[in-house]
Amino acid sequence: MAMLEVKNLRKCFGDLEVLKDISFNVEKGEVVAIIGPSGSGKSTLLRCINQLEKASDGKISVCGMDMLEDNPKGSGVVYADARLLRDIRLKIGLVFQNFNLFPHFSVLRNITEAPMIVLKKSKEEAEKTAIELLKKMGLEAKADSYPCELSGGQQQRVSIARALALSPEILFFDEPTSALDPELTGEILKVIRKLADDGMTMVIVTHEMAFARDVADKVIFMENGVIVEEGAPEQLFGNDATERTKQFLQRFSQG
Amino acid sequence: MTSQEILNVVKLLLEYLVPTLKVFGFTLLFSVPLGMVVALLKMCKFKPISYLTNIYILIMRGTPLMLQVIVAFYAVPMLKNGEGTPQFIVNLLNNIDIKDENYMFNAVLVAFVLNYAAYFAEIFRGGIESIPKGQYEAAAALSMTRTQTFFKIILPQVVKRVVPASANEVITLVKDTSLANVVAYAEITLKAKQQMQLYSSLVPLFIAGAFYFVLATVLTIVFSYVEKKLDYYK
Amino acid sequence: MKKSIFKRVICAALAGVMMLGAFGCSEKEESSSSSEVDSLQKVLDSGKFILGLDATFVPMGYTDENDEIVGFDIDVAEEVCKRMGVELVKQPINWDTKEEDLEAGRIDCIWNGMSVNAERAERMNLSEPYMNNKMVFVVPADSTAQSMADLEGCVIGVQNGSTAQTILAESDIASTITESASATNDEALMQMESGLVDAVFLDVIVADYKIVTGGKDYRVLSDGLAEEEYAIGFRKEDQELRDEVQKILGEMKADGTLAEISTKWFGSDITTVK
Repeated sequence: MAMLEVKNLRKCFGDLEVLKDISFNVEKGEVVAIIGPSGSGKSTLLRCINQLEKASDGKISVCGMDMLEDNPKGSGVVYADARLLRDIRLKIGLVFQNFNLFPHFSVLRNITEAPMIVLKKSKEEAEKTAIELLKKMGLEAKADSYPCELSGGQQQRVSIARALALSPEILFFDEPTSALDPELTGEILKVIRKLADDGMTMVIVTHEMAFARDVADKVIFMENGVIVEEGAPEQLFGNDATERTKQFLQRFSQG
Repeated sequence: MTSQEILNVVKLLLEYLVPTLKVFGFTLLFSVPLGMVVALLKMCKFKPISYLTNIYILIMRGTPLMLQVIVAFYAVPMLKNGEGTPQFIVNLLNNIDIKDENYMFNAVLVAFVLNYAAYFAEIFRGGIESIPKGQYEAAAALSMTRTQTFFKIILPQVVKRVVPASANEVITLVKDTSLANVVAYAEITLKAKQQMQLYSSLVPLFIAGAFYFVLATVLTIVFSYVEKKLDYYK
Repeated sequence: MKKSIFKRVICAALAGVMMLGAFGCSEKEESSSSSEVDSLQKVLDSGKFILGLDATFVPMGYTDENDEIVGFDIDVAEEVCKRMGVELVKQPINWDTKEEDLEAGRIDCIWNGMSVNAERAERMNLSEPYMNNKMVFVVPADSTAQSMADLEGCVIGVQNGSTAQTILAESDIASTITESASATNDEALMQMESGLVDAVFLDVIVADYKIVTGGKDYRVLSDGLAEEEYAIGFRKEDQELRDEVQKILGEMKADGTLAEISTKWFGSDITTVK
């Protein structure tokens, strides 16, 4: 069963069509990298799936639950009811480019807050999970620190732990290393690779081509709101890729 | 004035510190929550509500508090005796006894609360709008409800951001309580003015000034302590 | 996102407003309109006569060092109330809005050395004037000056910013004298004692009061300027109440009570009640 199904998804901001007829699937355990130039609609796609933007047309389903479908009576889309939307949202986690940690909470509380107030877990249980996650991220010593005391890379690792604390089925990354100094990107990529090894289903919007090639099971190249090419990394990064993909990758490696 | 007379005035004014603090305390108690409500109403996406809220804020900030106290005080008798007032309003107002001891305080309080809520609303709105969108999105991505997001994530951060500006308002409020004397509400300034006439001397007014100064200084210290307390994160 | 929060806060706000409203309400029912019931009977029924004053006019009605409202007017009003069989309630008001307080029914009269003028006579039901006030010159008892004319070339003390100062500046003798402004009347009188000024120009009632309470050896010159009359102000429609107070004042004049109170404050009977 596909963990994520996106079919004929369209998104318009006024007259501007930023996503045009996007369709793709993500299978369980699969790591999908989405690449493409800035403004190609990668982030908007992620935000539509995460309910941060409303789609204009199309169909999305997560873990077999239909999040939205085309309006059968006319144009536009119908979203599922609030309960189902919440269930769907609990299946997916999102890691932001700018971390978006809660500055007034300690590292530990950043991770425990949602499990406690959303999943109604006990404090002990939430903290136990949080400490485990922090260990996995190599940050157990920082539990009582505040986000402002951490480096960018450390903050991003906390935000990954925060997303994982709700035990999502799929984890989305929106350019997780773009806000980091180059020397700090490595630690984040290492964490993501480890998650991939553990069998986590992930969708990663990234500009790290080498990383995409290395970790992803499938790479999607987007440009101007459409999927130009989709396939195994060997295909997209190899000689059989379409002319457009080759051009993009070439320009990328140059500058 | 002799030192005995000065001591006498100080003692007398000390007694009237209570009504002054009563106006101050109750105004804060009601205007801070009301200010938060007004701030949210102003940010309401339903235009007529935010438009009306804007008019309210414009009037409250655009007219002197002294005038508002007078209006609040005389609105009830004027409406009651006014010719065009609908009967049901007159009936409603007939339940209010303007000779009642509490009437004056309540009228003063209404004016102060409405006025200060408008100022607090603008401070709070600034605070709420200064919270990055990413905080709402992060909370949404973690499946928090809107109420949870507001009270757990947004409000605590707003509090820290609005403390310095609110401290300003609170200190101003201490001194503004003196405006209650326009309807002869018996507080420090009114009493100082009466004693001033009695002794034909400005000294009672200076003593009242010293009272306000002490109160404002205490508040300044309290707020700098609060600011320090909230400084555990940036 | 704010919808659900809004519902809650609006409910809270409404609850708050209603609470404030309830706070301000008392259960007492007010009789519907003042003109239907005899205004005197209303006062007698309530057992209270509410006198409005700004409580800063020494010696007519002011707050003393013990925070008690006292004065000549208050003594007279106490006696009037005693004879009417009601309690006197002294209600401080803002002098600037005294007419509003009267019309709103918060007070039954304005009685605080209020001068008669056309606007007040128009808006209120005034009693007969009960006292004359004028601006007079006070000199040391041993001064040679007997009238205004003798003050030519003298230095005259006056309270800065007072009505007296304005009247003096506009008077005929302004060009022949030298004005010396002081912060208070007390200061001006002290300067006169030490010989810095030759005379002080002020209200006759204040002058009389200072002489009586201070036991000072001053003399008031017989001729003054700008005479004015004091009266009590009632609501236009409160004819019965006004007439009753007026009647009692007449009785008090006749039996000497008024003279007694006047002497206590001013050293002699300076009231003009008939």
